[in-house]
Amino acid sequence: MKTFSKLTWPYIAWISAFVVLPMLLILLYAFTKEGNSIITLSFTLENFAKFFSDAIFPMVLWRSLKIAFFTTVICVLLGYPAAYIIAQMSEKKQAFAILLITLPMWINMLIRTYSWKGILAYFDFDSQINVMIGMVYNFLPFMILQIHTSLSKLDRNLITAANDLGADSVQTFLRVTLPLSMSGVISGITLVFLPAVSSFFIPKLLGGGEYVLIGNLIENYFISVGNWNYGSAISLIMALVIILSMFVTKKMDQKTGGEE
Amino acid sequence: MKFIKKLVSSAYFWLTMLFFYLPIIYVIVFSFNESKSLTRFTGFSLQWYQKLFESRSIREAIYYTLLIAVIATIISTIIGTLTAIGLSKSNKILRAIVLQINDIPMMNPDIVTAIGFMLLFTSLGVDKGLGTILLAHISFCIPYVILTVMPRLRQLDDNLAEAALDLGATPLQALTKVIIPQLKGSIISGALIAFTMSFDDFVISFFTSGPKVSNIAIYVYSSIKRINPTINALSTIIVVIVTTVLIIVNVVPMIKDRKTRGIEE
Amino acid sequence: MKKLLVSILAVLICLTVSGCKGGGKTDFDPIAEFGSDELYVFNWGEYIDESNIEAFEKRYNVTVYYKTFDSNEEMYTAIVGGDKYDIIVPSDYMVERLIREKLIQPLDLSLITNIGAIAEGLKSPDYDPTHAYSIPYFQGSIGIIYDSTKVTEEEITAKGWDILLDTKYAGQICMYNADRDNFLPALKSLGYSVNTTNDDEIQAAYQWLLTQKKTMSPAYVTDEVNDIMIEGNKTLAVVYSGAAAYIMSENEDMAFIEPYQGTNIWSDAMCIPATSTNVKLAHAWINFCMEQEVAEKNSIAVGYTSGYQAVIDKLSKTEFDGINAYLPRVGYDKDEEYHDDNVLKTKLAELWNQVMFN
Repeated sequence: MKTFSKLTWPYIAWISAFVVLPMLLILLYAFTKEGNSIITLSFTLENFAKFFSDAIFPMVLWRSLKIAFFTTVICVLLGYPAAYIIAQMSEKKQAFAILLITLPMWINMLIRTYSWKGILAYFDFDSQINVMIGMVYNFLPFMILQIHTSLSKLDRNLITAANDLGADSVQTFLRVTLPLSMSGVISGITLVFLPAVSSFFIPKLLGGGEYVLIGNLIENYFISVGNWNYGSAISLIMALVIILSMFVTKKMDQKTGGEE
Repeated sequence: MKFIKKLVSSAYFWLTMLFFYLPIIYVIVFSFNESKSLTRFTGFSLQWYQKLFESRSIREAIYYTLLIAVIATIISTIIGTLTAIGLSKSNKILRAIVLQINDIPMMNPDIVTAIGFMLLFTSLGVDKGLGTILLAHISFCIPYVILTVMPRLRQLDDNLAEAALDLGATPLQALTKVIIPQLKGSIISGALIAFTMSFDDFVISFFTSGPKVSNIAIYVYSSIKRINPTINALSTIIVVIVTTVLIIVNVVPMIKDRKTRGIEE
Repeated sequence: MKKLLVSILAVLICLTVSGCKGGGKTDFDPIAEFGSDELYVFNWGEYIDESNIEAFEKRYNVTVYYKTFDSNEEMYTAIVGGDKYDIIVPSDYMVERLIREKLIQPLDLSLITNIGAIAEGLKSPDYDPTHAYSIPYFQGSIGIIYDSTKVTEEEITAKGWDILLDTKYAGQICMYNADRDNFLPALKSLGYSVNTTNDDEIQAAYQWLLTQKKTMSPAYVTDEVNDIMIEGNKTLAVVYSGAAAYIMSENEDMAFIEPYQGTNIWSDAMCIPATSTNVKLAHAWINFCMEQEVAEKNSIAVGYTSGYQAVIDKLSKTEFDGINAYLPRVGYDKDEEYHDDNVLKTKLAELWNQVMFN
C-alpha cells in the first residue's frame, strides 16, 4: 500500500512551483525595492515603513474591512431566515429551493454584478450602498447554503425533545436550533467576509468611480502605478489581516463545534 | 396562527428569490431593447444578439472560457484524485504539511493568488497566454478536488485494495479497478466544483492572461465602461444554457427514477 | 448523465471553434510577404472603428489580436512586465520615455508609404522630430464638457477650470482618472505649468484636488464619461477633445470649452515595441491606419482629431461641422505639451492615489 503514497509526489512538486514559490515571490518583492527582475535585488523595509507613514492604505483597509463586515452581518440576518424556512420544507421542495439558489451562482460573477447596473440607475443611492447591494447579492447564496446544510443535519429528535420538555418554540430555537447551526453560520461568514474584503470588480462596476476598496488599491499599484514592490507589501499585509481573522473565526468554530 | 406563519415564511422565501432573480430578469428584458439605454425600454429588437454573434472577440472569449474550464477540470481532477489517494496512504506529517499548503490557495484572497502567479510568470520570463492561464486555473482547482475526494477515501475499506494486491494485481490495476471506482461519486462532484471555479473566475484570469487570451469575464470587465447591451445578450444566453443544463441534470434522474419505480410496481 | 454533460460541452466548443475560424479567405500569402500571419495590437479603449480590424485581416489574410488599455502607465507596466505586442499607441511624453528606455524599435520609414499624410502640426513633434520611432494616430486637447441648459457659456468662460470647485455644482462633476491628466485642471487653475518640478506648486495642486474631493465629491472616471454625458447624468466633466466631439454629436445640449487658463495639447502615436516578433506586418498596420478611408472611419467612430491632414480637412467640414471640439485650439501660449519626467510622474501618481483613495 505504501507504493500509493508516491502518488503525492507530482502534487508536491506542483504546489512548490505554483503555490509556495509565488508566495515567496510576493514576500521577496515586498522586502525589496525597484526593478522588476530578480537580478537587481536590494533589500529594504521601505515598503512597510511607507505603510505606516502613508495614511491612505490603513484607511482604505479599514474601509474595506468595514464594508465586508456589514455585508457579512446583512448576509447572516437575511440568510438565516431563508435557510431556516427552506429547511422546514418537504424534501422535494427543499431540493427545488436549493436549485433556485444555486442557479444564479453558475452565471459569471461579473455578469451578475453588471446586471445590477441598470436597476440601480433608477435609485439615487450612495455609491457605498450600491457596492454593498452588489456584495450582498453575490455572497448571500453562499451564506444560505452553508446555514441550510448545518440546519438539515440537525437531529429533529432534539427539537421534539425540547418541545416535550415544555420549551416553547422561541426557547427551542434560541437554546437548541441556533447553537447547533452556529457552525454553518461561521463557515458562511468566512465564505462571505473573505471575498468581500478583497473584491475589486464590485466597487469598480457599481462604485461609479467614487468608492474604492483595498482590492482596487492593489490593482492600481500593479496595473497603473507599476510599483510592484509596494503592491506586494500591501497584498501581504491584507492577506495577513484576513488570515488572522479567519483564524479567529475558525477558533470560534471549534468552540461551537465542540458542543456537537 | 399556523397559516399566518406559513404565509410569512413563503412570502419571505419568494422575496429572497425575487432579489436573486430580479436583476437577471432585468438583463434579459433589456437584451431585447432597441436603444442602448439601460433604463428606458424603447422597443423590441434583436440587434444586440446579431452584434453578439458577429463579434469575434465575444466568440473567442466564450471559446477560451469553455476550453480553459474543460482542460483545467480534467487535469485538476486527475492530479487531485491521485494526490488524495496518495495522501491517504502517506504518513501523518507529510499529509499534514501538504494539506496545510493545500489550504493556501483557498484561504488567500484571489487577488493575492493572482499577483503571485503574475510575479512568477514575469520573473521566469514566460510569455503570458493560454499556458499560463491554464496553469493558474489548474492550481486553484486542485485543492477543491482533493478536499472533496479525501472524506470519501477515509470511509473506504483498505482491505479491498490490499486483497487485490495480494491476489496478484499490479498497483496500477488496484488503483484503476478497485480504488477509483469506489470514489466515482466524489470524483464527479470534485470535477463539477473545479469546473464552476474555473468557469466563474475573473481575478486570476485577469492577471495571468496575456495579449492573446481573454475569457468572458475579462471581456465583460474591459467593455463594461461603455453601456454595451451585447453584454445583456451574452448574459441571457448564458442564463438560458445554464438553466437548461441544470434542469436536464436535475429532472432527467427524477423521470428515470419514476420509470424504474413504475416497472417495479 | 456525465455523457450528456460532456456532449453538451463538446457541441458548445465545436460551435465556438468553428465560429472563430473561417471568414472570407483571400489568396494573399502573409507569410511570404511579412514573415508572419498574426499581429498583436495594444490600443486605447474606444480608439478604433472595429470594422477596420476586420478589413485589415481580410486584406492581408492575417489574424489581429486586439487588446485595449486605459492609461499610458497601464500600457507601460504591461510592456515592462513582458507582454509582447507588435503595435502600441502611447502618448507624446510616453513615446519619449519608451525611446529613452529602448523599449520601442526604430521604424523602417521606407515601408510607411503614406507618411506624407501626417497633419501639419505633427510633422515634426518634439518627442520624435523625424518620426524615427513613431507615427501620429490621433491628437487633441483637454477641456470641459458642460450641459448648456444648466451652465451658461459666460459663466464657464469666466471661471475656466475654477468652475470645478464651485459648490453650486457639487455632485455634478466628473474628473478624469488618468495619469497626469488628473492633475491638469488643478495645475492650470492655479496658474502653474503642467511640467512643473516645484514641490510647493505640486503640493498646492494636490491640496486643490483634495479640497475638490471633499467639497464637490466628483466621480473619477475614464471612458465611462461618454455615456454619462450623453445621457446628461452630470453637468460638468473634464474630457479629451475627441470624447467631447463624440458626446456633442450624440447630445446637442452639450458644449465644450478649453479654459482660458490654458490646457494640455497632446498626440498619440503608433510605435513598435522592441520585443515585437511581427515587425513587417506591424509596419503594414501603421501604413494601413494612415489610409484616408481607414483614418476617416476611425475618426468618425471615436470623435478624435485625426493625425492626418486630409482627414481633418474633410471631417471638419462634414461629420464634425460646427463642433468646436474636433479642431483643438492652436497657438495659445498657455497651452502646453507634457514632457517626459519620471520623477514628476511617480510623484503625481502617488499623490493621485492619496486623492483617489481618500
